Amino acid sequence: MYKTSWGSTLMTIILSLALGAGAILLLGYDPIEAYYQLFRGAFVGKFNIGGVMERFVPLMLTALAFAVSAKVAVFNVGVEGELYLGAIAAAWAGYAFTGLHPLVHIPLCFAVAMVASGAWGAIPGALKAYWKVNEVCVTILMNYVAIYFTSYLVGNPFSARASIPRTPTIEESARLLRILRPSRANIGLFVALGVLVLVWWMLYHTNWGYKLRHVGQNPFFSEYVGIPPKKVMIWGMILSGAIGGLAGAIEVMGIHGHFLDNFSPGIAFDGMLASLIAKNDIRMVPVLSLFLAVLKTGALGMERFTGVPKTLIDTIIAVFILLAAMEGLFAYSRRRSARSSGEEAA
Amino acid sequence: MDGLNEILSLVFNATLVRSTIRAATPILYATLACVLTQQANILNIGIEGIMIFAAFAAVTTSYFAGSWVLGLLAAIITGVVVAAFMAFAHLKAKADIFVVGMGVNMLAIAMTRFLLQRTFGVSGSFHHNDIVPMPRLNFDFGGNALLDTLFNDYSLFEPVGIVLVFVLAFILYKTVWGLRLRSVGLNPLAAETAGINVTFRKFEVMLYSGVLGGIAGAHLSLGYSRMFVENMTNGRGFMGVAAMFFGGANPFWGWIGCLIFGFADSLGSRLQSLGLPSQFILMIPYVVTVVVLTLAMMRKKRAETARKSAI
Amino acid sequence: MSRILIEMKGICKEFPGVKAVQDGLFSLEEGEIHSLIGENGAGKSTLMKVLYGMYVPEEGSIAVKGETYPSLTPKQAIGLGIGMVHQEFMLVREMTVLENIILGFEPRRGGRIDRRAALEKIEYYADTYGLRVHPDKKVEEISVGEAQRVEIIKTLYRGAEILVLDEPTAVLTPQEAEQLFCILRSMKEGGKSIVFISHKLQEVLAISDRITVMRGGKHIATVAGSSTSAPELARLMVGREVFLGGSPVPAAKGDVALSVENIFVPGEKELSKLRGVSFSVRKGEILGIAGVNGNGQSELAEAIAGLRQVQRGRVVLGGAEVQNMPPRRIREHGLSHIPEDRNQRGLDRFSDVKENLAACSVSEPPLSSLGVIRWGKVREFAEGLIRSYDIRPAGADIEASGLSGGNAQKVVVAREVSRKAEVLLASQPTRGVDIGSIETIRNELNRAKEAGAAVVLISSDLEEILSLSDRIAVMFEGRITGEVDSSEADEEKLGLLMTGGGTHV
Repeated sequence: MYKTSWGSTLMTIILSLALGAGAILLLGYDPIEAYYQLFRGAFVGKFNIGGVMERFVPLMLTALAFAVSAKVAVFNVGVEGELYLGAIAAAWAGYAFTGLHPLVHIPLCFAVAMVASGAWGAIPGALKAYWKVNEVCVTILMNYVAIYFTSYLVGNPFSARASIPRTPTIEESARLLRILRPSRANIGLFVALGVLVLVWWMLYHTNWGYKLRHVGQNPFFSEYVGIPPKKVMIWGMILSGAIGGLAGAIEVMGIHGHFLDNFSPGIAFDGMLASLIAKNDIRMVPVLSLFLAVLKTGALGMERFTGVPKTLIDTIIAVFILLAAMEGLFAYSRRRSARSSGEEAA
Repeated sequence: MDGLNEILSLVFNATLVRSTIRAATPILYATLACVLTQQANILNIGIEGIMIFAAFAAVTTSYFAGSWVLGLLAAIITGVVVAAFMAFAHLKAKADIFVVGMGVNMLAIAMTRFLLQRTFGVSGSFHHNDIVPMPRLNFDFGGNALLDTLFNDYSLFEPVGIVLVFVLAFILYKTVWGLRLRSVGLNPLAAETAGINVTFRKFEVMLYSGVLGGIAGAHLSLGYSRMFVENMTNGRGFMGVAAMFFGGANPFWGWIGCLIFGFADSLGSRLQSLGLPSQFILMIPYVVTVVVLTLAMMRKKRAETARKSAI
Repeated sequence: MSRILIEMKGICKEFPGVKAVQDGLFSLEEGEIHSLIGENGAGKSTLMKVLYGMYVPEEGSIAVKGETYPSLTPKQAIGLGIGMVHQEFMLVREMTVLENIILGFEPRRGGRIDRRAALEKIEYYADTYGLRVHPDKKVEEISVGEAQRVEIIKTLYRGAEILVLDEPTAVLTPQEAEQLFCILRSMKEGGKSIVFISHKLQEVLAISDRITVMRGGKHIATVAGSSTSAPELARLMVGREVFLGGSPVPAAKGDVALSVENIFVPGEKELSKLRGVSFSVRKGEILGIAGVNGNGQSELAEAIAGLRQVQRGRVVLGGAEVQNMPPRRIREHGLSHIPEDRNQRGLDRFSDVKENLAACSVSEPPLSSLGVIRWGKVREFAEGLIRSYDIRPAGADIEASGLSGGNAQKVVVAREVSRKAEVLLASQPTRGVDIGSIETIRNELNRAKEAGAAVVLISSDLEEILSLSDRIAVMFEGRITGEVDSSEADEEKLGLLMTGGGTHV
């Protein structure tokens, strides 16, 4: 599989920031001032740091969900749907169960969310494992099904009968403790980091992780040494779905306090791109997620203090992703010669 | 019973046909663009982004130049440029087409939002009486109400889309060009040994899908509506990809897929206006597509097993 | 004597680490059927792909109709009237026969395909040479035999005067092969010249005007078809210059450890489907299974190891029926397996050496406890194996893709042999491996046998089979065509069995 190159990622980051600086200059602003305000907007003050963390958590978890599925060679574009299902499941468990201690209620909400979204993730996994149905297309389609389904639930059986389609507010006992007030950052951050470390440890230090990695890298080898590739592929997808669901649960329990129809503006797609740029390397996932979260949060401060529109930062992020994807751009000729000799050997 | 009948007659009437076609058309252009590239084995997930860029170009040009023709032209040029970039990134710079597509979608939303602010000083949406829309087609049926509802007042590119389905099917399945294109997607090695330049063909169809994506965007902002809204495709590009999958990259079946999407959409909104949950109706096209895909692969696996059997 | 159409001289083609063709020599006369025979890896296909322009040779010259070229491109070759039918058909399965034939050379009216003109031309070839095809059927719906006829028409349609057929009968049933010979004869009468690549002696003898034998990438002999015999050809094909070695070590045979009873197994090709294979192996002996590749050996190994479905029959391992059990259970019943394709099956090339070495034991103590891998123990375990099997470079953290062929294979052998299982199934264990590693690996097989394991050695290398096996079974077209004791076996006898000489045409 791929190995990440820290150097080339750093180059791409610098190049896209430089392009952004050029654009800011063209618009008639001072790029140094703009980036300074961007930096301040992300790192100075509890509210700003909290804002970064608030965005970092779902981005990192959805990126992790995608990276885990990639470990079993499944391209799980369905994390967005899993996020929605996890969110509504957590919201339901959050308001339907009353009188529980937070130490019981919070894990219960997480569990319900992860079971719902894990089961959802198992479907494309099984279709791919047993019948080789293209998972990219199944998961794209299933996102819509999941979002419509949550939309039905929030409009009907789970509705709070409020002016907007949302669920009732969850019990206080299901709330994740806020940190860094007045931002909405919460202890979900530690849950997310814990999950990240746990998943990494699981992948590289347990038998189960050994199986997952090898099934993704070489299913023929895995089958031969006695690992059932189909089952492991499905388990990998269940884990991926569960992590996506956890991201949704944290959004509900830590940030919103209820499930709101259509609440995610494609969080999981940003996460997926972060993971893709990280070449699905678990260690790079938090780094890139943090980078994106910093840019997105800092952009608000930049806009407020310098007038440079924050949409420009979104543009820079997109340019960064496109540049990072074009791995052949810098190393085109070298790669070509390596490839052609490899082909002849085969 | 009467209540039910009343509801049914409110939901199912002649206007359902036209609202189906109306809802299906923007998806149809996206589908045809995806069908073309899929025939060369490129999943054009960036069609959404192409459409957004094109819709913006169309509105801007129509507003400033006062002509929908120029608006359409600008949209097509924009579509081709974006598609050319994608083709370059994928074919020359070896980027994963999926990442490029998603990146372009992201870029399109961010950049049009940015340009909307810079150009018109508004955010969210832009509508203005100076935006010249595409013409609508009207015929005189002597006041026959049914014919009027069924056949009148279509935006120009709604019937054109249907014609395009058949044109594209003809090109793909009856012409030399189509034959060669399909061979590129199905078995590049066979195409190569027949003297066909595979990379060139892929580049070529990406440009054509840019043209279709451009028309899709222009129709969305000048035909389907008369404004530009942030992220105005609202997933129609993805629906196009889904409809393409539904039809197995065949333009005709892709069109049927679009009609199912359009039908579900208009039926859903009618149910919603009556206070009934529409989500299950809206889900149908996606569920059907997953089922169709799965059944096809199951059949393939069965055939494979039978072919290899020793008994 | 008729005109010489093709004259290839001094052709050398090298792939990294392999000299596929050395000083290759070949000539073709107008209107003859010229067979090119040799074992797998003898360089037949490579030589012909050089002619068709798919490979550029390092040295040598190719003369076609009097013009000399250093190398050709496929386009040039087609222009010179050379057509090639590859082993893997170059057909688009989802398209119709007609579309496949005309692809790239379509008759057109405007931009449209001129279907009628295409049909007329196809019918002409079909009638002239007896090539029956259904133009409107999709390729995925037609039989392999018909697909081959489509390929032949395709080359004729492109104006081929010279046809190269790469192992055309490998995918055909005997009846279909008979049909093909009729077609080839009628094409010869029609003035076409044909190169026929094969390793089946009877059919080569039946059809050829001349026969060229290749071995180890070199030209061995060119003989007239009428003046030779199957035994002579077999000797030319399998004769050796380097003889690595030795004869089987004496065995102390014990009870039956593995028996395969009348199994039917699905196959990738028609002729590699197993139809009623039976044999048994005792402890302390090596059973060699000889045969030309693609006659069902791969399917046999996979079926025993649980990697392929057994449709009928039984596989008994250590007293238990294990057919269709998951591979892990079969391993638990006492099977070790060195697979034929080390890059796909035998190794995870993207993992390091220690993960590869520990793959079968990582989930058991002492390498892990309570599901947690103890990497320190794994490293110790791996370093022990690296030392005792002399894997170089000696690093547990090196990625498997960085090892040479021989050392990569040693990793597989070390993992499988060190388990000391009751049955060792070794499939092409020394293919593509350097001489030094070949010796190490063969010694390991003998050592396993001496330690009391039942060894099944599947190999297409006759010399390997003869120097290791106590008994030899020969596979041909999905069946075992003969079983001989190693003391009675020689290369000629096995060569005949392997090429179908012992049974039907």
